[in-house]
Amino acid sequence: MTQTWSITYEIFRKKGSQAAHYDRFEMKVDPDEYVLDGIERIWAFHDRSLVFSHACHHSTCGACGMVVNGVEKLTCITPIRSVTKDGGVIRVEPMRNFPVISDLSVDMTVFYQRMESVGHQPVVSIAHEDSKGKFDPDDDLLRLSDCIECGLCISACPIALTTPAYLGPAVLAGAQQSGDLNLCVLELVDSENGAWRCHSAYECTEVCPSHVDPAWRIMDLRKKLVSRRIKKFFGVK
Amino acid sequence: MDKPQAIVIGAGFTGVAVAYDLAQRGIKVTVLERGPLVNGTSGRTHGLLHSGARYAVDDQESAIECIDENLVLRKIIPQVIEPNGGLFIALNESDMAYREAFIQGCADCHISIEELNPRQALTLEPNLNPKLITAFKVPDGTFDPLRLAMGFAASANTHGAEFHLFCEVQDFILDGMGNVKGVKYLDRSSNQINDINSDIVINAAGVWAGEVAALAGNIDLPIKPTPGVMVAYDQRLCQRVINRLNEPGDGDIIVPQRKMITVGTTSFEADNLDYIPVFDDQVQLMFDRGCELIPAIKHTKERGAFMASRPLLDSGTKGRSLTRTFKCFDHKESDNVDGLVTITGGKATTMRLMAEKTADLVCQKLGMHVPCQTAEIPILSYRKFHIAQTREVA
Amino acid sequence: MAKHPQKPINLIKWFDPRNKSLGSWAFILNRITGLGLTLYLFLHLIMLGQLAGGPEAYDGFIALVKNPIFLAGELLVIAAAFIHGLNGIRIGITSFGIAGGKQKQLFIGLMTVAIIAIIYFAIRMFTH
Repeated sequence: MTQTWSITYEIFRKKGSQAAHYDRFEMKVDPDEYVLDGIERIWAFHDRSLVFSHACHHSTCGACGMVVNGVEKLTCITPIRSVTKDGGVIRVEPMRNFPVISDLSVDMTVFYQRMESVGHQPVVSIAHEDSKGKFDPDDDLLRLSDCIECGLCISACPIALTTPAYLGPAVLAGAQQSGDLNLCVLELVDSENGAWRCHSAYECTEVCPSHVDPAWRIMDLRKKLVSRRIKKFFGVK
Repeated sequence: MDKPQAIVIGAGFTGVAVAYDLAQRGIKVTVLERGPLVNGTSGRTHGLLHSGARYAVDDQESAIECIDENLVLRKIIPQVIEPNGGLFIALNESDMAYREAFIQGCADCHISIEELNPRQALTLEPNLNPKLITAFKVPDGTFDPLRLAMGFAASANTHGAEFHLFCEVQDFILDGMGNVKGVKYLDRSSNQINDINSDIVINAAGVWAGEVAALAGNIDLPIKPTPGVMVAYDQRLCQRVINRLNEPGDGDIIVPQRKMITVGTTSFEADNLDYIPVFDDQVQLMFDRGCELIPAIKHTKERGAFMASRPLLDSGTKGRSLTRTFKCFDHKESDNVDGLVTITGGKATTMRLMAEKTADLVCQKLGMHVPCQTAEIPILSYRKFHIAQTREVA
Repeated sequence: MAKHPQKPINLIKWFDPRNKSLGSWAFILNRITGLGLTLYLFLHLIMLGQLAGGPEAYDGFIALVKNPIFLAGELLVIAAAFIHGLNGIRIGITSFGIAGGKQKQLFIGLMTVAIIAIIYFAIRMFTH
């Protein structure tokens, strides 16, 4: 297993009001290491000023989302082998559609506020989460929900790219998952910048590292919204 | 009267909990963290909410702290916890030899356990090794590391605490007598050096606490960084935490989380704390030991492998036998440096208690008489956390 | 809540197909064919406007559009209509929570139908 590859990391850099640029770091790596391991080594041994976000290193926290060679990746579980070859380049950029704090770190505050406002449940019944929406009240086991709020889906979404007011895939998926469409949540999701803004590019589901399938959830949310409107029209409670 | 100013160095579990406790007691708190939240040891835990049963035989002080705090955290921050309990399982005679001591230890530490026969255990957890001889139910749990810290930080935020991330402490500002009066730090997101004055500095830098304390003078902290490797697999093969019923050892635990499981851990000593490689042979060891507990791991894919360095307290012994409890140092007493307190050691599970003891000491030093309330008040939603808005956001 | 200004400048990035998945290719195709058909609608209205110029002008115009370049253009219109229409059916179905997990298979299936239809029309147009 112990192979050694020579690769080049091209890292997006931005400090304060300085112009953005890329720094190149030539590295010896084991191709079975993860992209984040290399970035951490750059920080530890080459450039202490590198700013990047990470925490759990095993895909439960969602802190280390970045754009790797043009594609959104959770870098702690992305093997180097899967994104480049021996002698190749790994270009690492911060996620799109978020304000950049510095280098590879982005500010998730607005995104977290939105997740909060649609009532996404961080802990759910195991039966509920595993069956994509069906609820088995007999099961008392709980688990942390699939969505790790990494923001990759919002970074990959073409609509979020042009319309920052769009709630975005994770938030709409969060509303669908919570199941509680109260008036406050409805006002957010059954609106121009809510579920109806999605234009079916399916990039969110493509990049999701955590089995959430946001596109499916947005479509399911629409189904719920439509059936609600139809019932309301005919006066059914 | 102006609020006294405290600076907390480090935004790991200890740092955020100290920030929350101090802010709640009416102190103005500024947290300086050289990276993002919980980027060091805290973030890289397998996320076990200890029942204390693991330490009930060898380290009863830790075990009692764990079970007490386990129950507190379940109450104040259920938003980040899978509260499904755990099992200790015995697979051979050596495991069975540990059984009596385990039962006695748990009784001593008031940890409630229940013995199950193999059939009952396999009904609860069908993927367990069918050769198990006996099993005990314990009140373990799983938490999400980042969100646990964010919750405490969010609560600290509402009491006015400010979190400055990517800000690395460069030096202490000392008065003529060698006492700490503030810190000088580098904001890595703008490459600027800033100063803050303080009435008290709390060094919560975990394994790096020794390096930080040394900036204030000739201070020697008894911390023994003890890294361990963990490996995550791509399927949730158990709903509860699975422990090996034996002395603490390598690969003796499987922690479920979201849709995966994590096998941990190893224990060795390291030199460079900023980057410790994940060794292949240790990953293999986790796989082999994990398969003993849950054979189906053989057919799952590795999802991630990572390393964390425990800041254990050195009591003259080695590795596994180091105590998991914590200690708060007033450097006025130990080194004649006033204005600096270090808190280190401990477990994620005991973070709130560590903060309580630290805040007690800080309040005593500042002449304040405010009781701790963190064990009763629920923690706010972790999504209310925000970083200090001093930097320009592009 | 904070203001979120639109970023129309990023529209151009919609059409960048690099590193994109099948869903995005469908998204891009739908934008292009949609814009193409809108453009055609205007041309069509101008052409209809020729009717007001009397029979001679109209006949002259019809003679002009019989040449192969115009035929190819017309084929593009037909292609766009099939792609946009059939993809629209896919989006319509999935948007109401039906077969959301099968969007790729739907896309491939419907585009196969579109290609067959386009070939059929191409043969008819150029052999008459």
